[in-house]
This record gives sequence, C-alpha cells and structure tokens, in this order.
Amino acid sequence: MNAYMMVIAVLLPMAGGVLIPLLPFRKRNVMAFYIEMLVLITSALTFGLIMNPPSDAFVLFRFTGQLSISLKLDAAGSVFAVILAFLWPFATLYSFEYMKHEGRERVFFMFYTLTYGVTLGIAMAEDIVTMYFFYEMLTMVTLPLVLHTLTREAVLASRTYLYYSLGGAAFAFIGMIFILIYGSTSNFTPGGVLDMAALGEKANLLLFVYVLCFCGFSVKAAMCPFCAWLPKAGVAPTPVTALLHAVAVVKAGAFATMRITYFSFGADFLRGTWAQELVMALTVFTIVFGCSRALKETHFKRRLAWSTVSNLSYILFGITMMTPLGLIGAFSHMICHAVMKICSFFCAGAVIYKTGRTYIHELDGLGRKMPKVFVIFVVASLALMGVPGLCGFVSKWNLAKGAVASGNPLAYAGLGAILISALLTAIYMLTIVVRAFFPGKEFDYGTIADIKDPNWVMLLPLCVFVVVMFVIGLHPQFLTEALEQVVSAVFQG
Amino acid sequence: MKWFAEGFGLLMPIVLSGAAGIWLVCSSFLEHVRGSKEPYGGRKLHVLVGVVLASAVILTFAVIWPKAGEQSLILFYLMDDIPVFFHVDALGRLFAAVTSVIWLAAGFYAFQYMKREGEEKRFFGFYLLLYGILLALDFAGNLVTLYFFYELMTLCATPLILHNGSKAAIMAALKYLFYSMCGAYCALFGIYVLYQYCDTLAFTAGGTLNQALAAGNSGLLQIAVFLMLIGFGAKAGMFPLHSWLTAAHPAAPSPASAVLSAIIVKGGVLAVIRTVYNIVGPDFIRGTWVQTAWMSLTLLTVFMGSMLAYREKGLKKRLAYSTISQVSYILFGLSLLVPTGMTGALLHVVFHAGVKCVLFLAAGIFIFRTGKTRVDEYAGIGKSMKVSLWCYTFASLALIGIPPFSGFISKWYLAQGALQSDTGIFRIAGPVVLLLSALLTAGYLLPVTIKGFLPGEGRMPEKGGDGDVGAEIQGCNSGAEAAAGADAAGKPDMMSAALLVLTILTVLIGLFPEPLVQYAAEIAAAVM
Repeated sequence: MNAYMMVIAVLLPMAGGVLIPLLPFRKRNVMAFYIEMLVLITSALTFGLIMNPPSDAFVLFRFTGQLSISLKLDAAGSVFAVILAFLWPFATLYSFEYMKHEGRERVFFMFYTLTYGVTLGIAMAEDIVTMYFFYEMLTMVTLPLVLHTLTREAVLASRTYLYYSLGGAAFAFIGMIFILIYGSTSNFTPGGVLDMAALGEKANLLLFVYVLCFCGFSVKAAMCPFCAWLPKAGVAPTPVTALLHAVAVVKAGAFATMRITYFSFGADFLRGTWAQELVMALTVFTIVFGCSRALKETHFKRRLAWSTVSNLSYILFGITMMTPLGLIGAFSHMICHAVMKICSFFCAGAVIYKTGRTYIHELDGLGRKMPKVFVIFVVASLALMGVPGLCGFVSKWNLAKGAVASGNPLAYAGLGAILISALLTAIYMLTIVVRAFFPGKEFDYGTIADIKDPNWVMLLPLCVFVVVMFVIGLHPQFLTEALEQVVSAVFQG
Repeated sequence: MKWFAEGFGLLMPIVLSGAAGIWLVCSSFLEHVRGSKEPYGGRKLHVLVGVVLASAVILTFAVIWPKAGEQSLILFYLMDDIPVFFHVDALGRLFAAVTSVIWLAAGFYAFQYMKREGEEKRFFGFYLLLYGILLALDFAGNLVTLYFFYELMTLCATPLILHNGSKAAIMAALKYLFYSMCGAYCALFGIYVLYQYCDTLAFTAGGTLNQALAAGNSGLLQIAVFLMLIGFGAKAGMFPLHSWLTAAHPAAPSPASAVLSAIIVKGGVLAVIRTVYNIVGPDFIRGTWVQTAWMSLTLLTVFMGSMLAYREKGLKKRLAYSTISQVSYILFGLSLLVPTGMTGALLHVVFHAGVKCVLFLAAGIFIFRTGKTRVDEYAGIGKSMKVSLWCYTFASLALIGIPPFSGFISKWYLAQGALQSDTGIFRIAGPVVLLLSALLTAGYLLPVTIKGFLPGEGRMPEKGGDGDVGAEIQGCNSGAEAAAGADAAGKPDMMSAALLVLTILTVLIGLFPEPLVQYAAEIAAAVM
C-alpha cells in the first residue's frame, strides 16, 4: 500500500476525534455510528497496511537535520498495530453502552478516539524521535480520560499519572539524546544503531543510559518501582481502564522498551551485561510484587490493575531476555494478555454498570444473576492462570521456552516468578469466581433479585474475546509462526 | 471396526461421559438462573446418569480390553511440536479399569445418598464430567496432554467438594484448589525444563531424556524432577503439600470423598509414574539426592499420616489421614526404582482404591443413618447396620494387610522391593516404617468395628435392641428417618448394595491376585 495510507491511519482518528464535540449530532445513535465508522475505517486501513506494508517511510515533517517525524510500518510495529486495530472497535462498541451512566460522552469519545491515532503513531514510528513525540502526546490525550469523573479521587489519580509519565519521559529523553549522539542514525534498525568504534570506553556509560531509558519507558508499562500510578488510575471509566490501562497505553510502554532494546541499543551490545541483569531483576521482582498486591486488594478493578502490573512485567521479562525465543514469548504475551485482560476488565465494567458494585465482597451470588458475564469471567480467569487450552498457557509456554533456552540463571528465577505469579493469579481470580457462583448456604438471593445481564452491545465484545482466547489456546501455530517471522526480522541485523 | 481401530474408539467414553456431564451442569445452572421451580433430580435423572455411566464404563472396557490392541490418536496440535495425544498402554489400562469400577459403584451409591444433599443435577453433572476427564488423563500419551487433563481434573473436582455450600466446605474447596494449583505449577516448571532436554514428551518406556544435552545440566534437571515429584505429589497427598486432603475429604459428600480418596489422588500417582518412568527414566535419578529426598518424604508421610489418623476423632478425617499415609506407600514403592517395588506400588494402587472407597462409602452410610461423625459416637451401630459394618471391617483388614486380604500382597511386594533395592539405610527403614504404620492402621481402623459390634456394658443403648438404636437415631436426624427405617427392617437399598458389591470385588481380587500381580510385574519390567 502507499505510504500515504499510514498518515491517514494515524491522522484520521485524531482529526475525526477532535470533530466529535464540534459536530451537531441530534441523536446519540448518530454520534455512535459516526465514531464506530471512524474507528472501523481506521482499523480496516491498519489491517490493510499490515497485510501490504509500504516499503518506504513517510516523512510527516522535518524539524532539522536528523530530527523528523516519520512513519514506517515494520514487522514488530505490526504486532502492536494488530492488537490496537483489533481491540479498538470492540472497546468503542462497549463504551457506547457503558458511558451512558458516566456522562460527558462527547469529550470522552473525543479523547478516546484521539488516543487511537496516537498509539498507532507509536506503533508506526520510524525513529526514536517520532516515538518520543507520540509517547508524550499519549500522556496528554489520556490525561483527560483519567480525569473524566472529576471526583477528588480522579483528580489525584490523574496528577499521579501525569507526574509518573512525565518523569519517565524525561529519563527516556536522556536515552534518546545519547542515541542521537552515539548512534549512526536515529531510525530504528534491527540490531541497534550504536557505532561500536565511536563508543570506545564509553560503553559503561551507555549501559547506564540504557537502564535509565528502559526505566523511563517502562513507567508506562508500570514496572516496579514505577507502578503506583496504574492501580490509582483505575478510577477512570472502565473502557479506559480496560483498553488503555490494560492494553494500549501500558503496552505502548512495553513496546517502546522493546524498540530501544532491539532497535536502538541493540541486543548484542546489552546481552550478558550488568544492565541486562539489572532490568531483568526489576521485571522479575515486579512479576511477584504485582500479584501479591493484587491478592491484597479488595477493589475489583484495582485488583485487575495490579494483575496488569504483574503481567506487563512478563512482557518486559521476555524483552530483557534478549534472545529470539524470549522476544517471541514477549510478543505472544503482549497479544494474549491484551485479550484476556480487556475481557476481565469488561466483565468488571459490566458489573459496575448493572449494579454499581465495585468491591469484591459485594459480588456474592452475582454468578446466577449475570450468568453470561460471569461465565465469560471464568474463562478469562482460567486463561490468565494459564490453564491449557486457553491463550494464557500458550504465551507462558513461549516465555518459558525462551527462559530455559537462554540458560541465564536469572531467567530461571524469572520462570519461577512467573509460576508463583500464576499461583497467586489462581488465588485472586478464583476467589472472585467462587464468591460469585457459590455465595454460601445462608446467602439470600432476594437481595439481588432484579440484577440482569447487560445487553448485546456489551456482550458482543466479550464473546468475541472468549472465542479469540480459545482459538489461540487451541491452535497457536499460526500465532507462533507469524511471530517467528517477526522476530527473525528483528534479529537479522 | 476400522473407525474404532483408528483410535477414535478411545474418545467415545470420554466424549459420552463428558458431554452428558456438561449438559447436566449447564442445565442445572440454567434452572438456577431462570429460577424454575422444577425439582432437581428424581428418577429420570438417575436413569439418565445410570445409563450414561454404565455405557461409558462398557465403552471404556471395550477400549482397554487387551485384545483391542494399543490404540493411539492425535487429536490436534496444542503447540508446534506437541499434540494432544492419546495412547492406551498397559499402565493406562490398569488405571482406567480401576477408575471405571470405582466410579460405577460410587455413582450408584450416590443415587441414594445425594437425595438428601440436594443439587443432584449439578453433582452428577460434575461427577460424569470428571469421569471423562479422568479417562482422558489415564489415556494421555504425552506430558502436556497429561498436564492439560490434570488441570481440568483439579478444576472439575472443586464443585464436588464445596457441594453443600457451607462456609467450611467452600474454604476446604479453595484450600484444595490452591494446594493443587501450587503443585501443578511446580510440576509445570519441570515440564518447561524437560521440554528442552528430552527428545520427545511422548511417554516412552525407560524415558526420553537426551543424554547428550542432559550431561552438563544434571543439577538443573534434578531440581526440575524433584519439583515435579513435589508438585504431582500434592495431589497424592505427599508431604509437604498434603494438608488439603484432610480439609477436603470431610467437607465433601461421602461419595465424593470416596472417589476423591480412591481415584483423584491416584491421578497424582499416575503423573509421578509417567514422569519418572516414562519421561526422565529411573536411571537418571537412581542414587541421586532426588531419590533419597523422595524416599525420605514418602516414609515421613507414611508415618505421619498414620500417626495423625490414630489421633484423629472424626471418622472421615481419620480416613483422610489414612489416605495420606497409604498413598505414600505407593509413592515409596515407586521411589525405590526397582521392578518389585513398582509392582507393589501398582498393586497398592488397585487395592487401596477399592478398600478406601469401601471405607468412605461405609463411613457415608454411618453418617447418613446416624448423623454422627465422630468415631467414639459409633458404639453399637453394628446392631442396626450389620452389612455396612462388616464391609467396613473386611476393608479395614485388607488395608492393615492381614493375609489373605489384598493389602498383604501389595505390602509384601513393597517390602521385598525395599530389601532388593540398593538404597542403603532405606532398605531396612522402609519395611520398618511400613510395619509400624500397619500397626497404627489397625489401631485407627478397628476401634470402629470393635465398638460397633461390642459397645461394652456401660455404652449399650439403655433399652437395648435393634429398634431402639434405630429410634434414637431417627430422633437425632429426622431427614434420615426413612432410610434408617429401611435398614432396620433389613430391606436392601442402593447404598448397601453398591457397598457390598464393591467389598466382594475387593476381597475377591485380594484372594485371587495372581493375574493382577503378573500384569503389574509386566508393566514394571517394561520400564526398567
């Protein structure tokens, strides 16, 4: 496809999003139709681009010299773009129903649609400057979404989110500068851009900068000790927590760390150094830490948010292995976790929408009253635990395969951490399931008599996600094969 | 039949039982959701479950009949190189046969027992589903397939434990679930590692470890294998992940505790056998710290289980401790890594399954009729429940290992195996612990019989006579009135019939063990 198409894919949702509050929609349905069409066209365009990637880059504009905003879709970017293009239409559909009770829909949908374009920009960024540009923009366009309810809690949460994100971006900025100085080009190049001859004795400094840069970008991926913002941001409306804080924003962070590791600094330069050990140790710690906090948490959405913290570090752990198999593991968990977590968040959202209940101890007996939602939640829980036959098992298997093959002792520790976290996942998810379906003998169903399943607008996305979880879980070859191609492109340099 | 020979035959009992189970579970759930007032269960449900169960068992025997040959089937590929693969071999046949017989007996027993517990449809749904999953577990042909159905078994057994919905039952079920999951994930670590160091994860006699790859990494592999033993050992009630058993068994309805104790824990045993003898190979761990640690843990569990059973006053909890101890007999036999020891272990799998099922079913009848759960409350029950108590007594004698009953034969082989093995102090320590534990077994099982038949002067119910015991019992548990009345009148009922048949089978197999011993010895010889 023509390179222009990339610009359209990125700018269409941004421009269309800005128009939402301006256009004179008389009926809500018309607005919904307009937004859904906008998102669908963007997704179709993105899929088209992924199928026939344009061979050359498109320079949007040039600041000066090396500094330009340019787009290019490569194999690794396609993985992230696929996730976005697949999930966004369903999440938007779900939001139409959910946002009925949140109010101020036009503003919400403006920023929600804007975010789509910005994250696509991150996926299609050709160089580190472009990625940084979109990355900062992502913070700005998602801030109003966290702020949406305008409660005191939301204000505080959005402030935390802002400080963390900006602080992280500052560290990432340091990395960007060093890449611009010591790299042969700022473009993302498989195998890295560092000029080893020019580097000389500064190798250790560069490693230090890598750690700074990794930590900076992984603030968005909620790596410990930079994870506190994510559970707090759970005050946002559920479509935001589900799509942005479980998929788009946080995986943009993971994706950015992947970019700088494999395309800027280069895996060969980092492999076996103290820098690798350090960042891997942080991810391993986060895997267990996130799950333990999830276990302690009694708020439904915050528990899922802590679970996201842990699961994002699975991805980062796969990235820090710096081997092809590790990267396959990271990509497969990126895809699988996206589906599993958005599904569980949507279930939580459906409960909030229909009952207004947000704490886990309030979920007693709801399994019988909202059977469809909770059966789907069971499937998502089992997938998150890694029960064979569902997608979670596949991604964990790929990560484990990478960890064992890498032979790195720390990777074995990481594997142990993943399994401990799987056990904790079983505990914090299944206690919810058991509570919902088996509230105990004394429970009086009369207290929840008039609660019902939500309508098809909310259920359709959930059903689709369940099907995807089963398809990947039972027939993962197509996924693994595709990822093998992607990763071989990353390691060819 | 060509179709049957191609391996699809082995799917038939699995699919039949599984589909019927899922249908019942769904329909029971939907009834709750819609709030329809139709009674759950009833005669129609019993007929349906009975027919499905019986035909699934017949189909299973058609599959495992030795003349049917070794069937295999690749269902689909779960990973690039790992199929969901079924293969019926000698070991799987043995486990499937035991599972089927026990499942049938406990199922018919449950028809009467579960009437009182309610929610029959859900119970039988999960019961049938679990049978299908267990068959799939027995027929699993590689490690990942085994793990797949092992996890499903864990999940589907949970609703049986929390059946009555009380707080205690739910907590027990969660404890069971989390202990099992902990074990499963320990085992999964081992599977991840073995996948890299084995030629294939398909079960092969003598193991598939790639010696060239394994040479430099034996430390890692030993840790992996040890974790798998601990992990799968969790299901088999091996120390240190044993304590779910004593929480789950008393909480579950009696037929569920019977199959839990007789069959589900054997799932752990099967997984251990597959890992050690069909994947890693006994040679790899013979003489290493893994074997020593494993043997120490099993002997510790044998002794500890018996000791705690001896001290325990609740009958079902006592039997649960007994299971912990007895299943570790099996694991001890396996840990010796000699053919005689493994023969003993396989025999004990069969004998313990039958015996422990009888014990739990009998305990269920005691509880059903009297409403009492503590051992010291059973004085004088021999008057009103002659048949059940006799069955209990025969099973006890078999478990203690008094010749000519079954336990004697398996323990004989276990002791022989220990003496033949080259394991230093364990050669002597093993048989000594087994004997001590047998003594304790007598100490914790027989008091029920003795008090039941001979309550002693002061303990006799005041007015004496059959009817009065019955009357007193009826007073304390009105729900059991009809049933107690039937028993007192000597009318045959479903529970006693199932119990009796199973007891007769258990006794017979102990009296004529020759074919079984030969079969087990052949399996053991093939993998060594």
